[in-house]
Amino acid sequence: MIALENVSYSYKKWVGVTDVNLRIERGEFTYIIGPTGSGKTTLMRLIYMDLFPEKGRVLINGFDTNRVKNRHIPRIRKNIGMIFQSYNLLSDRNLFQNVALPLHVLGMKRSEIKEIVSEMLNEVGLYGKEEHYPDELSGGEQQRACVARALVKQPEIILADEPTGNLDPITAYDLLELLDTINGEGTAVFMASHNYTLIRDRGHRMVQIQEGKLRA
Amino acid sequence: MDKFLFLVGEGFKNMWRFKLTTLTSVFSIFMTLYLIGLLFTIGENSQKLIIYLRSKYKIEVFFKQAVTDQQARQLTEQIQKIPGVRSATAIVRANAAQIFKRQFGEDILTILDANPLPASCVVNISRTQNTAVDISPIIDTIRQIDGVDEINFQGRLINRIEKYYDLLFKAIVGAAVIVLLVTVSIISNTIKLTVYVRADLVKALKLVGASNMFIKFPFIIDGVLQGLMGAVLASAALYGTITAGNHLIANITNRIRISSDIYTISFWLISVAVLIGMIGASRASAKMLK
Repeated sequence: MIALENVSYSYKKWVGVTDVNLRIERGEFTYIIGPTGSGKTTLMRLIYMDLFPEKGRVLINGFDTNRVKNRHIPRIRKNIGMIFQSYNLLSDRNLFQNVALPLHVLGMKRSEIKEIVSEMLNEVGLYGKEEHYPDELSGGEQQRACVARALVKQPEIILADEPTGNLDPITAYDLLELLDTINGEGTAVFMASHNYTLIRDRGHRMVQIQEGKLRA
Repeated sequence: MDKFLFLVGEGFKNMWRFKLTTLTSVFSIFMTLYLIGLLFTIGENSQKLIIYLRSKYKIEVFFKQAVTDQQARQLTEQIQKIPGVRSATAIVRANAAQIFKRQFGEDILTILDANPLPASCVVNISRTQNTAVDISPIIDTIRQIDGVDEINFQGRLINRIEKYYDLLFKAIVGAAVIVLLVTVSIISNTIKLTVYVRADLVKALKLVGASNMFIKFPFIIDGVLQGLMGAVLASAALYGTITAGNHLIANITNRIRISSDIYTISFWLISVAVLIGMIGASRASAKMLK
């Protein structure tokens, strides 16, 4: 499903990732763990094609970064749900409008959107808060809203970049439970974290990254 | 269809969500377009004024004493054929005496027992719209005609009017070009500003897999609406200014009136603003998508 083959990428002043080889299969849950600045976010950005490797290639559902055209990128991203530490919710839209955004991009009818978003908000425990704006939600609720937005289009892959970074331990635990549930329904999850104690006992594959290199 | 309606709705909502930026943009568009409309109206009216003044240019040609009335008529016909001459009217000696009496209240035949006034003719020159009037070739040709004694014309006045009009015309064209360039720059920059303040929206849309066209479309709608609002306001203000100007002038004189084809000006202002709004928004959002 996702394959990184000898991928290297460097920024102007520092190295992003070096010679990374990694495969993530359909329905698999993989943690990538490493300290801040180790290259976790760079890997995520390479997977959702916000960055392109200088060496090697990234394969996502048959699309190859070395051959992909700009017009294909939105199609690739439609199959990827993204969750960020900073939530990236639109502050001028309420919860319903934020979660509904990907469905408008897919061109769904309003009646369908209403139904799907309500279901999704129910699933992440935010039912009844549709009219709330991001600043009226707690950190945990905002992160669950972010999960709902990522999941609402039923993607095959969820990329979660430090999703627990701004959450208290209990809320972080709840979020991991939610991601487990999502994974149990067949969605592949690739989650970056620097908090080893939080994820070590979850029983999923763990990949370590340090100074841009993957460790066994 | 749902997608299209969503995108159009987004264009309208964007304007409402970012009221202050939209207001700044619309105001800038309004001010610059109003200035362009004003310059256009000044240009249009100054051209009408110069055409009117040119129609008043005239040359008086006095024939020699020996020239008879019959000869004066023939010479007048000859003058009428000179290129640049619109009309030439012969004034025979008897008519000249009548004009003298009308102007001075005295009958010259009673005073002198004879009519010393020569036959003459009044020459009107052709009206031109776009080119300056140069009467010197006409004067030269008339001077070469045998029987012509003296020529009176408002040479200095005509030259001065033409010179000032030429300067005014150049100044208006220059100012219009500068304002137009500034307008294009202001409109595209203010629209860029409205696009840049929505960077988070562009980012969110990119992440959820929106195509470039999907992201750009609401901004284009927004740009077009801003252009449209600015242009409509500018047209209304221009109409108001012309009406108020005419009202003020009417208190002074009934002979002069500012005339303007406000519908044509409005059409052009709206077309230019909408086009610039569309192009500006498209280019600014394209930059954000890179």
